Amino acid sequence: MAAPSLEAAEVGPAKRRWARARAALGALFSSRLDKSGGRIRLIAFVMFAAYAAVAGKLVDLGLAHDPPQMLKLDADQAVSGARPDLLDRNGAILATDVKTMSVFAEPRRIIDKDEAVELITAVLPDVDAKELRERLGSKKGFVWVKRQVTPKEQQEIFHLGLPGVGFLPENKRVYPNGPLAAHVIGFVDKDNVGIAGMEKYLDQQSLTDPHVAGFVVDPAALKPVRLSLDLDATHALRDELVAGMARFKAKAAAGAILEVNTGEVIALESLPDFDPNDPADFNKDPTRINRMNVGVYEMGSTFKALSIAMALDAGKVTLNSRIDARESLRYGHFTIHDFHATHRVLTVPEVFTHSSNIGTARMALMVGVEAHQAFLKKMGELDRMRTELPESAEPLVPKRWGELNTMTIAFGQGLNVAPLQAMMAVAALVNGGELMTPTFLPRDEAAALAVSHRVVSAQTSESMRYLMRSNATHGSAGLANVPGYYVGGKTGTADKIVNGHYSQDKVLTTFMAIAPADKPKYLYMAMYDEPQGLPEDGGYHTAAWNAGRTVGRLIERVEPLEGAPPADHFPDQPFPLLARLGLGGDADRMGKE
Amino acid sequence: MWRILHVCAIVALIASAAYVYSVKYQTIYADEQLVKTRHQIDKERDAINLLRAEYAHLVRPDRLQELADKQLDMQPLALAQIVKADDLPDRQPKVDSIGRKLESLGLIAESASPSAGVVGGTPPVR
Repeated sequence: MAAPSLEAAEVGPAKRRWARARAALGALFSSRLDKSGGRIRLIAFVMFAAYAAVAGKLVDLGLAHDPPQMLKLDADQAVSGARPDLLDRNGAILATDVKTMSVFAEPRRIIDKDEAVELITAVLPDVDAKELRERLGSKKGFVWVKRQVTPKEQQEIFHLGLPGVGFLPENKRVYPNGPLAAHVIGFVDKDNVGIAGMEKYLDQQSLTDPHVAGFVVDPAALKPVRLSLDLDATHALRDELVAGMARFKAKAAAGAILEVNTGEVIALESLPDFDPNDPADFNKDPTRINRMNVGVYEMGSTFKALSIAMALDAGKVTLNSRIDARESLRYGHFTIHDFHATHRVLTVPEVFTHSSNIGTARMALMVGVEAHQAFLKKMGELDRMRTELPESAEPLVPKRWGELNTMTIAFGQGLNVAPLQAMMAVAALVNGGELMTPTFLPRDEAAALAVSHRVVSAQTSESMRYLMRSNATHGSAGLANVPGYYVGGKTGTADKIVNGHYSQDKVLTTFMAIAPADKPKYLYMAMYDEPQGLPEDGGYHTAAWNAGRTVGRLIERVEPLEGAPPADHFPDQPFPLLARLGLGGDADRMGKE
Repeated sequence: MWRILHVCAIVALIASAAYVYSVKYQTIYADEQLVKTRHQIDKERDAINLLRAEYAHLVRPDRLQELADKQLDMQPLALAQIVKADDLPDRQPKVDSIGRKLESLGLIAESASPSAGVVGGTPPVR
């Protein structure tokens, strides 16, 4: 009996459990009010569990990094942003964006990294395997494999079928004209961020910063930016300078064309130059600086224009004054000679056309050291000139400036300025006396006058035009005196300093010309560094033979391009103010006689 | 009676569901088309941009100059060749100089073709 009783004892609790479960179930489905307490508790418990699960999931989602989102953010940060097109003043493209594909990888999603490296480098042989392995081993969510691949490479990578390797469209900056105007346009880095020239200027304006956080610039919303450059004129300038540099075996050459009434730079070139499509080209060679803007040079006789304008404007001399240039000018143990010595008393126009150092130095002394400094300061020659281009250079001004300095600076020795800076001053001397900083953006005359200030009187300006014109007809600027254009010009040959002494055979030649001289529109300048004399020019390496000739050819090419046909007769009264004063006379007189 | 109403209600329900479904499907379809078209516009715009860049590259002045030097038998423009439109002479009255010459030589009768006048005549077109 022991067994059944044991059995009954065993069955007892099981039965009781079953009964209790049935009661609970019954309570759940029964509609009796007295049982509803337990039911409500049960429902409350289930609801609580459900809400807890939802809340838990939310916390989980909040804490988890969502991989696709991270990828998008990383990619937005990395992808080259769109940049506005750069156009020349007539709308020709100087720089534009094209879409290219770049290969990226998500290291966390790559299963076998070594295999991936092997496959990728087989398709893209120029990717460094070791470096790629390192990049794929990093903890980053996003790494570039190769930027800007060709469509064929893209296809091949695609067919590898690697997980975690993908493509993103990127903007690649292209400069269709190659090295043309490269120093003005500048260039961008791999991320399409401007690092030189106008490209950098655009980024500094912060309107086009491609990586403003979380903000991707819509390429269609970017307005193209027009520059003041003229592509055809720039080409003519570069073509002539390249030819001249080869012909005169010069180390370097540079040139620019400036609109004197608005201060717009129409063309600017500096050789040797580089191709902005390949920025590494620029960094290879330190001689590829922008010589017009970043190089500072003793401008030589071109500076005499400033000195004579100063003396005229201060009323110390008139065009009829006579300056003694019979003997070399002695100062302490320095002697100032004339290159083309005349040994006679010269009129002011003769000082200019014979490029007399003695005469110019005497005129500067009449004005005095302080007034000379003040005048050059006013002309913007003693301070750094800031244009839109981020590159600029401080002029080299003598620390102690005595009478001797004034005398030498008067004829262009002892003060180093950027050539574009000197052009700014000469432009002010010929445009009626308004000094305006050159600009690389389009500007009309009214806007230019709003930012300019008067530096010399209209009469002084007219005198300078007269002097430059007479220098073209019977002075050193004859080779630039293109028939059909009323050209005026001034040469400048500066001896270069070699080992602390002025060298006779290493020179820097500059030439500035205005056309037309009665109402100038353009100021042309060409500059050669260490040009060699040619046998057919009698071995002369002075500015008239090289820079002057280049400018002449340039005027001949550019003036018709800019819509100025050659005139069949010159103005009868080119210098009315001077004529009223009975000064000057006919600048073309000598040419006609 | 109730049964007919029920049937009507069910039919109406099914019909409206089908209509809603079709509208929804059309919307999705239109939406897809829109995205596709936008995509295509973007693509075309990129292509245009690429072509513009390529065109600019092909007509860059130094390339044109090189090609002109090589292919064309022309010389650089000389300043003397530039003339203003106003300076061009007016058109001369049309003169048959050959006819005049013949006339002055007294040969006109022999060579005169039936339709050719002495002044300004053109040969008959056959």
